[in-house]
Amino acid sequence: MHVDAPSFASSVPRGGAMSGESEDPCAHDRLIEAVALRRDREAFARLFEHFAPRLKAWLMKSGATAAAAEDFAQDAMLTVWRKADLFDARKARAATWIFTIARNRRLDMLRRDSRALPTPEIEPSENEAMRPDAILAMADDARRVRAALTRLKPDQVEVLRLAFFMDSPHSEIAQTLNLPLGTVKSRIRNAMIKLRTILEPSEEAPR
Amino acid sequence: MNPARNPSEERLLAYAAGTLSPPEAVVVAAHLALRPANDAWVRRLQSVGGEFLETTIPQTLSDGALSRAMARIETDAGEVRAQAPLNEMPELPAPLRRYALGPWRWIGPGMRVRDVHAPRDGDCRVILLKIDPGRETPRHTHGGVELTCVLSGAYATETERFEVGDLEEADEDVLHRPRVVSDEPCLCLVALDGQIQLDGWLGRVMQPFVRL
Repeated sequence: MHVDAPSFASSVPRGGAMSGESEDPCAHDRLIEAVALRRDREAFARLFEHFAPRLKAWLMKSGATAAAAEDFAQDAMLTVWRKADLFDARKARAATWIFTIARNRRLDMLRRDSRALPTPEIEPSENEAMRPDAILAMADDARRVRAALTRLKPDQVEVLRLAFFMDSPHSEIAQTLNLPLGTVKSRIRNAMIKLRTILEPSEEAPR
Repeated sequence: MNPARNPSEERLLAYAAGTLSPPEAVVVAAHLALRPANDAWVRRLQSVGGEFLETTIPQTLSDGALSRAMARIETDAGEVRAQAPLNEMPELPAPLRRYALGPWRWIGPGMRVRDVHAPRDGDCRVILLKIDPGRETPRHTHGGVELTCVLSGAYATETERFEVGDLEEADEDVLHRPRVVSDEPCLCLVALDGQIQLDGWLGRVMQPFVRL
């Protein structure tokens, strides 16, 4: 497998301004809201056309076959249809919300594969019961996260991307990049520390 | 922030990405419920995931994928999901309330354990451990990773004190002997991989009886 996605440094204008993008960055948020409010099928179709191919790509990178990855994308998008009314653009923008839906689905799959003990259908608190401070913090996150990623080194962005996309023991990432395991671990750690410094500059408060 | 009492950045990343093993994810979820700042950080990491999803190079879908999706939503009757009932321990953080719990078992003086029927991952499973004030667990090493989150009370190891919400990561290299230092019993949520190897004479005496 090779890493074929564009690096953030080249695909996003420096400073993270969205001006370089032709599409309204909130367009997908509005589509999900249209599905929630009016069961808008046209809006769902546009969401599907945008996100299903990306979900498929994600699953294939984590090792799924094309057919399994497409089934996964179909199922995840059906969940988007069903749960659209839980979407709250103040908490997370469309891509993040759909990412967490897909992430939870993937966890559920792991659970089903794991040894049989009753698995209560529990969804961790991802999308509900957010505290007011967390909602505030989320308000302009999309822009800040995008800007922060442009300030990481390309090889740091690459390991983070792999950490998100592969069901990855770090050894798998090391194999993919043909790097020693220790290098991968320290690169991930450094990327995370840098990300935190950029996104949470006032980290004095006790956690 | 004390790194020794928080999940490592790698573990938070794996949690956000959904690649952490299910039992470990249960313990981290409990920790996040008790640590809003870390919870906010994980949400921010999930928006990194959203950004990666957005910028990934799409894979072409098979012919008719869209019409299949549209047909599915036309006939979709919604999701049939029976909510699991809440368990009988209201003192547990919200993410734990819907897991069924096994019976309390005595495993030593002042020490009880019960299974949390959360998903397992191979030998890794989740347990609740309750230890009375002043009690020490036998010195032990770990066969695999042990992830512990304090839910009430407090314990101390040779070097650190762990209080409500604190998370401790121990692996094969750690030999430790936690002692409960709170006035109330200490309740811990533990993801346990492999068997605990008890150490010392008490451990050798107890090993045959302790089924952790």
